[in-house]
Amino acid sequence: MSWITVLWSMLASACLTFALLHLFIWAKGIQPWANLSFAVAATAAAVITGMELMAMRAASIEQLAMILRWAHLPVLILWVAIVGFVRCYFDAGRPWLAWTVGILRGLALILSLTTGQNLFFDEITGLKPVTILGSDTISIAEGTLNPWYVVGPLSTLALAGFVLDAAFTMWRRGTDNGRRRAIIFSSSIIFFMLTAVGHTALVNAGVLDSPYIVGLSFMPILFAMSYELSHDLFHSVQLAHQLQANEAELRLSEQRMSLAASAADLRLWEWDIVHDEIWSTDKQRMLFGIALSEKISFEHFLSVLHDEDRERVRLSVEKSLKGNGHFESEYRIVYPDGRIIWVAARGRIEFDNGQPLRMLGVSIDITRRKQAELEVQQQRNELTHLSRVNLLGELSGSLAHELNQPLAAILSNAQAAQRFLARDKADIAEVLDILKDIVSEDRRAGAIIQRLRILLRKGEVRRLPLDVNKVVKDVLKLLQSDLVNQSITVTIDLDQKLPVVNGDRVQLQQVLLNLILNACEAMSRSKTSNRQLSVRTERADTDLIKVSVGDRGPGISPESLESIFQPFFTTKKQGMGLGLTICRNIISAHEGQLRASNSVGGGAVLHFTLPASPGVSV
Amino acid sequence: MNNAAPTVLVIDDDPSVLKALSLLLRSMEMKVAAFCSPHEFLEQYQPETHGCLVLDYSMPNFNGLELQQELTARDIGLPVIFLTGHGDIPLSVQAMKQGAVDFLTKPVLDQDLIEAIHAAFEKDRLNRRTRAELAEILQRLATLTPREREVLAHVVSGRLNKQIAADLGTVEKTIKVHRAHLMTKLKVRSLADLVRLAERGGIKSKLPPDQKA
Repeated sequence: MSWITVLWSMLASACLTFALLHLFIWAKGIQPWANLSFAVAATAAAVITGMELMAMRAASIEQLAMILRWAHLPVLILWVAIVGFVRCYFDAGRPWLAWTVGILRGLALILSLTTGQNLFFDEITGLKPVTILGSDTISIAEGTLNPWYVVGPLSTLALAGFVLDAAFTMWRRGTDNGRRRAIIFSSSIIFFMLTAVGHTALVNAGVLDSPYIVGLSFMPILFAMSYELSHDLFHSVQLAHQLQANEAELRLSEQRMSLAASAADLRLWEWDIVHDEIWSTDKQRMLFGIALSEKISFEHFLSVLHDEDRERVRLSVEKSLKGNGHFESEYRIVYPDGRIIWVAARGRIEFDNGQPLRMLGVSIDITRRKQAELEVQQQRNELTHLSRVNLLGELSGSLAHELNQPLAAILSNAQAAQRFLARDKADIAEVLDILKDIVSEDRRAGAIIQRLRILLRKGEVRRLPLDVNKVVKDVLKLLQSDLVNQSITVTIDLDQKLPVVNGDRVQLQQVLLNLILNACEAMSRSKTSNRQLSVRTERADTDLIKVSVGDRGPGISPESLESIFQPFFTTKKQGMGLGLTICRNIISAHEGQLRASNSVGGGAVLHFTLPASPGVSV
Repeated sequence: MNNAAPTVLVIDDDPSVLKALSLLLRSMEMKVAAFCSPHEFLEQYQPETHGCLVLDYSMPNFNGLELQQELTARDIGLPVIFLTGHGDIPLSVQAMKQGAVDFLTKPVLDQDLIEAIHAAFEKDRLNRRTRAELAEILQRLATLTPREREVLAHVVSGRLNKQIAADLGTVEKTIKVHRAHLMTKLKVRSLADLVRLAERGGIKSKLPPDQKA
């Protein structure tokens, strides 16, 4: 077999191989139109190559003329396929240029079928045997050229214009990839123009004695197109590898995460809000009889919470659903066996167009910390109580007087009644009146004892909405005789529109008792006319109230304004120095602030703030 | 000086206690005047009222001791019985020093109160008698002429008529006349009576600077 037959057959089969490959890729549906265009172009190139070989081996003029006539059909298909590829794959090229290419090439086919023997020759006069490279002989047509021949190169020029325009567009897009493609494509098309069209023209004109090399010169374009498509394929493979690596990494990081989570006793959870399903890594769930893989609903989750926490957590979640999506809460979980654990949870909601999709979060067992906190709290309560008892000890004298008054009235009334009754003509009306007084005095004594009992009680701290003005009045009532004994005048200025605060009545009474007793103590050496105590309540801010206790004593030295709150700071001979420390603790626990200052007119003012409880004023 | 029944003047800032005490005292058939503050008492007090004060020690603005001092300042000689919630010893000592009759702890038993009140009444009566006698003496002393006063002072210091005459630069006869006059005016018969009266009336013995007795 001659080498030309071998070479051209190889070219054709190479093209077909490309075509099949991309047909296959097209069938798999990756970039379908670009791959199909390529497959069609490669097939057309294969057919052209085959026809060239047939032309070279043509036995008669008629046979050659027919081959050359029909050769324009695969060329048309090739041209359309290239245009299609550029449009589909690069998304570039002007549509009107594309149409021009198609129309010119279509015209070339029509002219090839209708004028002369084909587009090249008006008439083929003979076959010229040519020996190529000294070993192989082929046939070349000789004859008069068809005047419409120019349509063929014109369509090629249009195709070149289309491709160059598309290349220019890609160049302008500016990505490295686009520029590389632009160069490869434009250069391969120009190469094709110069070789295939120019060479064909020269062969036809009889200037060159050579076989047609349209198929051969199309190879660079084919390679360029194939390279581009393979590049994508390669890229996909690379991505697949990367994905695999990422997956492995992800798995590893998940393992690390769960290791860290279990080491830190963290639990990860996720709440699918749309389907209301909670998934969690919480191993403890086994205790509820809930399998680890089983998902529970939000209500189910709430049902295992401590009764006192349930509504709070529900409100907190609802707030974060409506608000910024951050959730943070501490709550107790009650196990079926009665065991209670404290959990701190933190989560974040993912939204889609304002609709909550899911919440991701972690929770941690804080039972031990809570227990320690509770113990500290208990000790603090104990100390607070002790200090209160101590405080009442200081007051015992005036309290005794306070209690003595009704008792004295009762005794005198009772003895008066006895005497009235012992008379010959007992005045029953008078005695009844006396008994009425006795009852009311007894009530008065009872109320005093009740007040004392509340203060002495070692009860749990209970925050309830309360009227601070009433607390002030109660304390002043308790201190009344003490103030009288010390000849202290009290100015009371209470804001009647004070909002309600959430607080523990007894503890706030204790703070006021402390502050007022300190103020009295500060004035113990002042002249009687200067012993003026002022107690004032006011609204400090929209959501803050302020209570001030002022005296006209010597004031507090500037360097001591803060240290008076330190433990064991005392100016009294028998003081523990814990009174103000405890007061500050109490006020801090109420989310308020206790401070000291000196007033301009002399004397010290101790004032504390308390947040107003959201709601209506008293 | 009137002979009407003595009044118990009660002062207590606690209206219930004030009312109960008044009732108790009335049930003892006593005349009672109740005041809810020392100021009210001071405003309404009539000097001819006699009896005693029953006073709550701890009252705003004006405590018991301060009122007691005020009474002395105003020369109101009413005996005071203190009532207090707590038996404070230093306090009671000071009150007694200032002339309180008694210091009772609330709640007070009627028996204790009535005893204290009777004692106070007695003291008041004595006080008033002494004051009346003194007033009488002073009144008699006021009738003396300056010369008679001078002679009295010399007599009280125990000098003889002759010595007095020499001191005053006159004759013994004149001194005798002055002496007879002042004995009549002062309604005394003996020298001893005269000396006692002059002493109560505040007449000091008078010795000439060069002669020490």
